[in-house]
Amino acid sequence: MTEAPLLDVAGLSIRIDGTARDLVSDLSFTLNKGETLCIVGESGCGKSLTALALMGLLATPPLRVTGGTARFRGDDLLTLPPAQMRKLRGDRIGMIFQEPMTSLNPALKIGDQIAEAVRRHTELSEADARAHALEMLRRVRIPAPETRLDVYPHNLSGGMRQRVMIAIALANTPDLVLADEPTTALDVTIQAQVLELMRNLQRDTGTAMILITHDLGVVAEMADHVAVMYAGQMVETGPVAAIFDDPQHPYTIGLMSSMPGLDGGSDRLVTIPGVVPPARDMPGGCRFAARCPFADAQCAQVPPTTSAAGNTSHRVACWKAPLEQQEDAA
Amino acid sequence: MLRFIGHRLLIAIPTILLISVFVFLLQKLLPGDPVLALAGEDRNPEMLAFLREKYHLNDPIYVQYFNWIWNALQGDLGISLRTNQPVTTLIAQKLPVTIQLAVMALFFAVIIGIPAGILSAYKKGTWIDWVANIVALSGLSIPNFWLGIMMILLVSVNLGWLPASGYQPFTDDPLQSLKTMMMPAFVLGTGLAATLMRHTRSAMLGVLQSDYVRTARAKGLGERSVVVKHALRNALVPVVTVVTLLFGELLAGAVLTEQIFTIPGFGKLVVDAVFNRDYAVVQGIVLCTAIAFILMNILSDALYRVLNPKMSDQ
Repeated sequence: MTEAPLLDVAGLSIRIDGTARDLVSDLSFTLNKGETLCIVGESGCGKSLTALALMGLLATPPLRVTGGTARFRGDDLLTLPPAQMRKLRGDRIGMIFQEPMTSLNPALKIGDQIAEAVRRHTELSEADARAHALEMLRRVRIPAPETRLDVYPHNLSGGMRQRVMIAIALANTPDLVLADEPTTALDVTIQAQVLELMRNLQRDTGTAMILITHDLGVVAEMADHVAVMYAGQMVETGPVAAIFDDPQHPYTIGLMSSMPGLDGGSDRLVTIPGVVPPARDMPGGCRFAARCPFADAQCAQVPPTTSAAGNTSHRVACWKAPLEQQEDAA
Repeated sequence: MLRFIGHRLLIAIPTILLISVFVFLLQKLLPGDPVLALAGEDRNPEMLAFLREKYHLNDPIYVQYFNWIWNALQGDLGISLRTNQPVTTLIAQKLPVTIQLAVMALFFAVIIGIPAGILSAYKKGTWIDWVANIVALSGLSIPNFWLGIMMILLVSVNLGWLPASGYQPFTDDPLQSLKTMMMPAFVLGTGLAATLMRHTRSAMLGVLQSDYVRTARAKGLGERSVVVKHALRNALVPVVTVVTLLFGELLAGAVLTEQIFTIPGFGKLVVDAVFNRDYAVVQGIVLCTAIAFILMNILSDALYRVLNPKMSDQ
């Protein structure tokens, strides 16, 4: 029996007012209950904008959703009225941000910041919400949680603050959590702890997660499905194994080979030549064409269509896919 | 907190002493002779010599200073050369007037300036922001004396709603006192409201962009809660500093406003004293103003600590 996906995004486009082309263009993906989708790509490729658009937190103006739908439990997140969106936010959809140092209010106590999220969406009394906040601190493994309820964010380290952010995001056991680079600002050892915590909590609660990252190590650790973004377009999407074992898009291939391995024979890191096109001046055809070793005239002028690669859920947006044939021919 | 305030008060003592030296010396360096001013038309040398002796003006300057500061420490700031009243009494008479004017002016400044600043930051770039900015700029640019005169013409002369001038002590008749002070306080307050509005606006603009405001929205909180509970609380930190410093400034007296509305406050007292070379009065007032300023600074730092939990740990 196939259930309808929890989140079904189709054709999501975002634009800066006054520019000719969409910053995020025609993005489509689905997410099932309890699954983790990793959105991968370099800085500025539109990953965070996508998450903010789904939360209805895009800074409008100048950013604006110009098209698409995002079906979540029957509602379209992109067109839902603000009042209804506020009911979903923090309740059915939680969000964890990249910067734990600045994402908590410096003037409010930790316990109050968690309890506030609970009280907004439930009928709990102040005392019960506080008890729930304490329980959340315990669940995100903050040591001595009783004493931490009444401290301010500046008393906590970055890793602890990010745990508090996770506690806030998960306080109402949402169906979906958007995590925007949740470990990027943390030390490597802390990163591993936080990721493990997120995975355990997700397993306990059955929450689905969209994890935005540029770190392929994180992807390998966490993802069920992967969506690779380049310059605002989704270039390839599929199950994590397919993306790692059989990358089809030249950009994905480039990303994979730029990841340093422990057994790597070469001393130098492999890089993809060139830079991401500027946000205000996106090219018309395939946005990767200028950096792609396989690109021809068609690539530079016509945006590629998406085609299935191998099994059904592995899809790639490239005129040259599947690439093996190209390489054989060359 | 008490320790912090105690510490700051201790540090303030040398500052106040230093100010007292400057005030004293500055008076001596100013041109003009109080004895000449006091003697008026009758300038025979014997009279002048007698007056100099009476007010110890022939003593070495450091002796004069120590006499003055020693007496000041006991609450005696000398006798006004002009009115023969003790300076302490004069100040005690005028201070309540000035404090009432300052508190009421600040009240108008706060209830106009802070909401206007919040609104214009929240509605940045819209017509509301424009209107608030134009009004604020006018508030800053329109001289108090002109606004005061216009208000008297409109509110008192034409409409007859409020008295044009005068002063009623608050303890005698609170309602009448508030009524007479309403217009001067409003005139003073509008200028300060503009300053406050600009400070609130820029603080709010910074805070509204912050990550924690985004977090508050991500919790699904309503805009009122986002703005008041999450943004304003943090934006108020710098604004509170400005408010307390403005209060210190107001205590020094609002010369022009007091003159227009004929309010017997500090401003009028100090101007009269300077013109009459009434040394003792000028010294007393400047010393009081300086102390008020220092106290306001300490209060401002204390409030800063209350509002900013990061500071109160240190």
